[in-house]
Amino acid sequence: MHEQSLFASVPVHQHHELLQQLAGLTAMQPRHCLERRLIFKAYRKPGLAGRIGASQDLQQGDLQRLNKMLNGNMYYTQVVGPVSEADFGPTGPVDQDIHMVGMDDSKPSPSSYDYERQPWKLEFRDIPEAGTRSAVTSRLMSSATLPQGDVVQSMNAWGYHFTTEYVVEGDMFIHNDIAIFLHRVLHYPGGNELNVPRRQLPALKDMTLFEKSGSYVLQAFIIVQDGSNQETMKTASQHLFGLREQLKSAVLLEQADRLSLDTRAK
Amino acid sequence: MADSFTLPLRPIFEQRDHPDTLPVEIAQINNQWGSFREVNEGVLRNKIAEEEEKDGLDEVEESDQDATDLDSTERLEQLYKRRAEITQFAMQAHMETMFALDFVSLLLSKQAPRQAETSMSAFLKQVAPLGSLNAEVVNPPPKPESTSKDISTVSRGWRIQNFNAAANKLLQAASRLETEVASETRYWNEVLAVKDKGWKVSRLPRERQALGVQYGFLEATPVFRDRGLASLRRAEDGALLLDEGLIPSKARYVRVRVIQDGRLSGCSKPTRSTFDGDGTIEDRILQARDTVYEEELFHELVREARAIASFGVTTRQNLIQIPASDDLEILLDLVDTDENALQLQHNISQQGTSLAEGLAHTIRILLAYAHRQNLRRRTLLPPPLTPKTRSIPEHQLIRPALAYIKHMSHVRWLQSLLKDLFGVLQSANLKPPAYTAKVFSTRKQRHASPAPAVETVIGQFLTPLLSTFNGKILTPRGSFSILIHTNLSSPPFGTTFDVSFSMPEYPDFGSPGKLSQREEVEAAITHLLLLDVVFTISSNGSPKSEGEKDQAKGTWEAIYPQHGELLLSPSKSDKRKKMKISLSRHELSIEIYTVCCIDGTGRGTCEHPSYPSAPHTWKSSPFTGSPNQPSLMDFVST
Repeated sequence: MHEQSLFASVPVHQHHELLQQLAGLTAMQPRHCLERRLIFKAYRKPGLAGRIGASQDLQQGDLQRLNKMLNGNMYYTQVVGPVSEADFGPTGPVDQDIHMVGMDDSKPSPSSYDYERQPWKLEFRDIPEAGTRSAVTSRLMSSATLPQGDVVQSMNAWGYHFTTEYVVEGDMFIHNDIAIFLHRVLHYPGGNELNVPRRQLPALKDMTLFEKSGSYVLQAFIIVQDGSNQETMKTASQHLFGLREQLKSAVLLEQADRLSLDTRAK
Repeated sequence: MADSFTLPLRPIFEQRDHPDTLPVEIAQINNQWGSFREVNEGVLRNKIAEEEEKDGLDEVEESDQDATDLDSTERLEQLYKRRAEITQFAMQAHMETMFALDFVSLLLSKQAPRQAETSMSAFLKQVAPLGSLNAEVVNPPPKPESTSKDISTVSRGWRIQNFNAAANKLLQAASRLETEVASETRYWNEVLAVKDKGWKVSRLPRERQALGVQYGFLEATPVFRDRGLASLRRAEDGALLLDEGLIPSKARYVRVRVIQDGRLSGCSKPTRSTFDGDGTIEDRILQARDTVYEEELFHELVREARAIASFGVTTRQNLIQIPASDDLEILLDLVDTDENALQLQHNISQQGTSLAEGLAHTIRILLAYAHRQNLRRRTLLPPPLTPKTRSIPEHQLIRPALAYIKHMSHVRWLQSLLKDLFGVLQSANLKPPAYTAKVFSTRKQRHASPAPAVETVIGQFLTPLLSTFNGKILTPRGSFSILIHTNLSSPPFGTTFDVSFSMPEYPDFGSPGKLSQREEVEAAITHLLLLDVVFTISSNGSPKSEGEKDQAKGTWEAIYPQHGELLLSPSKSDKRKKMKISLSRHELSIEIYTVCCIDGTGRGTCEHPSYPSAPHTWKSSPFTGSPNQPSLMDFVST
């Protein structure tokens, strides 16, 4: 599958207005999304790479393919899990003072978040294609549903290290074939000293903004089933250009810098 | 506004310094008309008549010309003539223009020979040398005083006239602006009133300077969604006009008619009474909205009707015929709201009307539900783009309603069958235990869905319908259950009866399972009850015979329970008696034979009806267990 997208930066003061404009354009209410995103890095398992011996019974083509598979690029990949606001922890210790003495539940009730039942989805994005003549960011993508619960083990088994995690909050709109995602990135308070995904989530208020000004990213994307079909790819980019024209007076949608979307692991 | 406008625009009339003296005017009249002495009434009348005649003649001439014009050849001739005239005029004009050009060129050739030469004709160049014509300013001779006075008077008159005209124009413009402002105010007030009522007012997408009101349904089929927008035009006086484009302004609605036994028994009423031309703008918007909804409804109904043609649904250009059940037929058509008035006839029954009304409401609610589903589908993350276009599935409008009608018809049939059969048994004083009927016992989905309650309710209506009948039978520990499934949304279509028995006495008697024909079901249930009766008779004898052995005449033994045959083998006599029971929906009859065979199992050849051979029958009657009829048990034991 291919993903074609256009991006725009939305300053925080324009956010509310743009939400309304998008709601009017798409004739739907925004769907609020909160997503946990875990980043995994592929690593080369020792002893697998670079072994070319005992290849006499392999055809030349197979050999090349195998080599490519073993020595090819390593990628970062994301594991995405939808969460809701209720999954985040209570607002903090300040609240405890409000609790009246003598009440049984004076302890802060832990949030209902259950890490073991968190659904996950593996999302892979390639580096955007270089040298395309069209003015949209086009990249190879793939996604797959993962088993619920602790995902690190299975990811390790596939050759991926857990690297870090963050949270994305935003609103989703659908305009015909185009999905419009207005979002920003939140970091966990206190950095990522852990080497495993969190089992409890901190309060949503305590999350820190990745972009200090609080500005949002507007991403409009279309997913195309068959990237080799020029006709469909063209239709998709035409649709995106149509949206760009419609939103011209509000935001400027443009192609993203290719190297800033590089997912290759060095 | 005009009152406060005090700027004097018209020129002030002042008295002419010296008006024409009377002698001058008299002299003028004398010149023009002759002496006053010759003027009398007759002369003036003649004059007037003459003038009128002249005008009349002109008109007659014109009309004559029109009449003659009809002749085509003459017209053609005239056309050529006229064309020739026009050409001639044009040639002449051209010639004169060329002369004038030559003249001016020749005149200018004195001053600017190079330039002038280019515009001179070749003939002139040959004939006249360049610069041979000159012009000089000549002092005009001094005009006489009277002429200059005339000129000044005329120019003064002109000025006054122009001032007057300008003033008139300004005042006209002022009053025009005033009415314009008034009508604009009215227009915008009405637009605001429409907006305050909650309608969406926006610019038209194609006509940027016009306002439009959105009354359609965003989730409708694209054709009808786009029609849900009408422009708000302004009439001359500022009144709001709803310009719906090509839509007929007539209000239409989907009429549901119920045909029972071949005649009309019910008809749904229009959802909203019609408005005349003087309805308010709000009314007209509402009417337009309703009409769009009704037309979309009919469009979707036709689409669905074509898809379910296998159920016998037929579509014509403007009519859908649905055979619902037994002798019930439903007709759907799109008609004008005022067409219904003459249809109100005597045949209409209360039940038919309520069925028609119910159906009419059902299909509308289902369309609204389909709209909601469209919204849900639209706001989901779109599937990856493929070259194939997805077809939109037909909405479920007729199918759920039809399923309901069919289901209810089957349930009623089963209820009446059971009632008849149990009535027959009761009349034979068998006291069958009661059964329980659970109509629409569809399992409720327990999982909490995010959909609002109203959608959940309708969603249940769209699931396959299920009714269950459970009951015990005379046989101890025996029971039966009948499940009626009706499903028109997904294969297998239609109604199935799932009949299952539990008879411990006949363990090898399997349940018939899924049946789809009413005859089969009736046969299966009748058979079950026959077995039940047979078993009851055979088991009824045994405890009695044990207790009073001497008196006992023996026990009836079920030899062919499947055929309802029992055998009495009394210990004393050699003659065996055979009883044959038959049960149907209407009666239970018993016949007793004497059989000659030893074992009594031989059939047909050696059976003789016993003396009191008249078969005894019990029929279901409202007076169950009437005293003049012996009960089955009494009859059997005698």
